Amino acid sequence: MEFLPLTEPVLLILLSLAGQPRHGYSILKDVEQMSDGRVLLSTGTLYGALRRLLDEEWIERIKEQDSSRGRQAYRLTSRGRRNLQLEVGRMKQLTRLANLRIASKEA
Amino acid sequence: MLSITLYRSLLRLNPAFHRERFGEEMIAVFAEMQAETVSKGTMARAVFCLREGAGVVAGALQEHWRALGGEDVWLWFPTRRFTMRTEFRFPKATAVLMTIILGGIILAIQKGEAISTSLRGAVSPPIGPIHPVHSVMVGGILLGFVFFYAAGLIGWAILFAMRRSGVHRLSETSTK
Repeated sequence: MEFLPLTEPVLLILLSLAGQPRHGYSILKDVEQMSDGRVLLSTGTLYGALRRLLDEEWIERIKEQDSSRGRQAYRLTSRGRRNLQLEVGRMKQLTRLANLRIASKEA
Repeated sequence: MLSITLYRSLLRLNPAFHRERFGEEMIAVFAEMQAETVSKGTMARAVFCLREGAGVVAGALQEHWRALGGEDVWLWFPTRRFTMRTEFRFPKATAVLMTIILGGIILAIQKGEAISTSLRGAVSPPIGPIHPVHSVMVGGILLGFVFFYAAGLIGWAILFAMRRSGVHRLSETSTK
C-alpha cells in the first residue's frame, strides 16, 4: 500500500482515536501520554494532520456528545480503522522479522 | 508570551478556507493548552510559545503550498538534515564555543582600539595617523557580528521549537 508507513505523529493520532472519539485538546494530551512526552504536537501540526485525514476520509467530524460547549470531536471511519490495522500488521511483521534475525545472530 | 490575540493574528497567515474550517477550534485548543502552562516555569512557557508559533507558521506555509496545487510536503529548504533525524542533537558545546569566539573577537577589537589610541600621542607614529573612519569600520564589524550572532540564535530557537513540535514528521506521510 502506498500510504504506508505512517509517520509517528499520524500513527499516534489514529491510535488516539481508535478507542473513542476525541476533540483536539484530548488528542494532543493522549499523543503526549502515549509517547511518554516525546511527541508534543502543536495545534498547527495537529490540525494540519486532521485536515489531511479528513480529506482522505480516514476520520470524520462529529458533535461531541458530553460537552455543553458543542465542540467538534473526531472519530475513525471504517477506512481509517482498516488502514490503521494494515499499518499495525506491517509493524508486527517487521518486528517478528527483526526478532528472528536478532535471535539467529545470538544463537 | 504568546497571547490568544497574537495567536489569532498568526492564524490569519492560513488560507481563508482553512481558518473557517478549523480557526475557532484551534483557538479553543490553544486556550486550553495555554491555561495548562500558566502553572509551569518560564522556560516551559517559552518553549510552548515557540512551538505554537512555529507550528502555526509552518502549518500556514504548508496549507498555502497545498492550495497552490503542491503535494503535502514540509518546507522546500533542506531542513531534514537538521531536524529529521531523531538521533541528531544540536551540540550544546557549540553555543558555548560561539560565545567564547565572539568574546575573543570583541576583546581583540577593543585591544586594537586601545593600541591605536595610545599611538596617537607619539611624536612620529610608525604606522601613520589613525583616522576616525577606522573606528567606524571596527564598530560596524562589531555590530555585524552581534547581528549575525543574534540571528543565528533566533534561527536555532525556531528550528528547535519546530523539531519539538513534530511538524517535520508529517512530510513523510502519504495518506493516499
